[in-house]
Amino acid sequence: MTSREKILASIASNKPSLVTMPNVPIFEGDGSVERFKNVLESIGGTAVELTTKAECQEAIDKYYHDLVNVASDIVKANVSINLDTNKDILEQVDLAVIQGEIGVAENGTIWVPESNMLNRALPFITQHLVLVLDKHNIVANMQQAYDKLEGVGNYGVFIAGPSKTADIEQSLVIGAHGARSMMVLIY
Amino acid sequence: MSHQNHPELAEAFNKDFERTTWHDETLWFVRQKRDKAVYPIPEFQDLRTLASEIKDHTLSNLDNYLIEFEQNAIKNGVKVHWAADAVEHNQIVMEIIKNSCKVEGRNPRLVKSKSMLTEECHLNDFLEKNNIDVVDTDLGERIVQFRNEPPSHIVLPAIHLKKEDVGETFYEHLGTAKGEKDPQILTEAARQHLRGKFVAADVALTGVNFAIAETGSFVVCTNEGNADLGVNLAKVHIACMGIEKIIPDLHHLSVYTRLLARSATGQPVTTYTSHFTKPVEGKEMHIVIVDNGRTQQLGREDFRSSLKCIRCGACMNTCPVYRRSGGHSYDFTVPGPIGAILSPNIDLHKHKSLPFASTLCGSCSDVCPVKIDIHVQLYKWRQIVGQANELPAAKKWAMKGMAKVLSMPKVYDLSGKLARGALRILPHGLTHNESMNPWAKARELPDAPKQSFKEWYEENRQ
Repeated sequence: MTSREKILASIASNKPSLVTMPNVPIFEGDGSVERFKNVLESIGGTAVELTTKAECQEAIDKYYHDLVNVASDIVKANVSINLDTNKDILEQVDLAVIQGEIGVAENGTIWVPESNMLNRALPFITQHLVLVLDKHNIVANMQQAYDKLEGVGNYGVFIAGPSKTADIEQSLVIGAHGARSMMVLIY
Repeated sequence: MSHQNHPELAEAFNKDFERTTWHDETLWFVRQKRDKAVYPIPEFQDLRTLASEIKDHTLSNLDNYLIEFEQNAIKNGVKVHWAADAVEHNQIVMEIIKNSCKVEGRNPRLVKSKSMLTEECHLNDFLEKNNIDVVDTDLGERIVQFRNEPPSHIVLPAIHLKKEDVGETFYEHLGTAKGEKDPQILTEAARQHLRGKFVAADVALTGVNFAIAETGSFVVCTNEGNADLGVNLAKVHIACMGIEKIIPDLHHLSVYTRLLARSATGQPVTTYTSHFTKPVEGKEMHIVIVDNGRTQQLGREDFRSSLKCIRCGACMNTCPVYRRSGGHSYDFTVPGPIGAILSPNIDLHKHKSLPFASTLCGSCSDVCPVKIDIHVQLYKWRQIVGQANELPAAKKWAMKGMAKVLSMPKVYDLSGKLARGALRILPHGLTHNESMNPWAKARELPDAPKQSFKEWYEENRQ
């Protein structure tokens, strides 16, 4: 008997009789841009509202003019990142500007699928992260977010603010291993 | 080998009064953050009920969900392994590492994000003995790894340490300035140190917070970004999960992602909620599904629901005993109230003191996001410890004596009278003698009344 068979047999003989699955509703809630911005700022992120997506370049020039190596398929980039980019180059990225798909007002998180990341490591290895988000894609809570998602694809991440830790005496430190800062450009 | 029980280890922890007070207050602060994060969600109690019911349903159909998960994961190009126990789990992980990365002239390098399961299996020791370099990348875990200590909390692994302790550890291992204790500076030093480890790693190992049967995906939640950074830079990803991590579909996942971080640290959600489904072309993804006593717990009707735990740690933060005795006093991978109901299933003799590490106040059950009746199970384990003849002799005979007295009203009246008399006459040093009366260690008995309530009632009834 393999371990697989042993485990499955043991579950079959030890599990209780079938319990009905509850009906999980999609809860209503406040999915406003205002709430999204407030929550995002409370978790260490920054939100900037734009009138059109075309203004992203201007915003990046304004807020990140001091950063050298920029990776993006939305604004002007000077590091080219793709699936095959090696670690040495990824490590040099100062700023990544990528598209976010769905924002969640309740917790300030944004869905970023693999297809938007240029490289799976980019949103994490970059020193600073900017996500670009269509305000019409902000929903109230996680139920609504998963409902809106077609699926989770090969790989995808909900990102809520910059990387952080409180592992030393519960003191909050922004910039643990991932992005040291995180801005959302909402258009 | 003699094994120290919870009261002994807790007593040692309590020797440093200031640190105990600090530990108590720090965890209570986390509990308060939880409350602040929970109250603004009008449907929070509904979510707890749903989370509990989804897990009840899933556990009652667990074998079929695991098979569905496996089939979908295989379709996604993921290799699925099954381990009956810790030994087999460790062996599987080692073989994946040795087969997948043949390196010349050096040890294979593994970076790990947090996984309580691998702590439970003592994976790190095993791999290191087999010439694999293991680096824990969660900051708290890296700190305790440097210090050769186990984590003292499942979410806050280094919560037993003060910043001065961390400063000393980093001075020794990372070359930070002597006496440096600024968390910002210490965290930056760890960031620089660990970036090098991430880039150099051959294999990345993660735990699993939730596994989705419908898609064959698994979800990993972190704040630091260490799981994603490790996995996406290494050639091989190994994810280790207990069988109870399964949930049916993404719609159910939404319930848990709303509960987990709010209950754990009082954040609205973890910074990264990562969904892994397929490996990148040319890379490998492995899932190790582990039993290690879980199917046995599934068969214990009274304790089955402990498998619903999502490892948020809320029961620890709120527990008056955990807060004042520290995670290491439990001497089990998962400390606190949830650990005290999981551990007797693994080794009743070794962990017999843990169900007693509780006031049965019920606060743990009140904050549990999946509504496990933790305090009820603590009480039920006490009965089993008693039946297994594992109670300490003094407690056992005291209980037996008390049961006799309470069953004979005349004897009860007489003993009450004698005790009241004795308490008035005997010197304080004797009535509060700590070896004879451990209850009096930090407490004062009230003055003994002249008569019992029964006597008073007889005199005063109308």
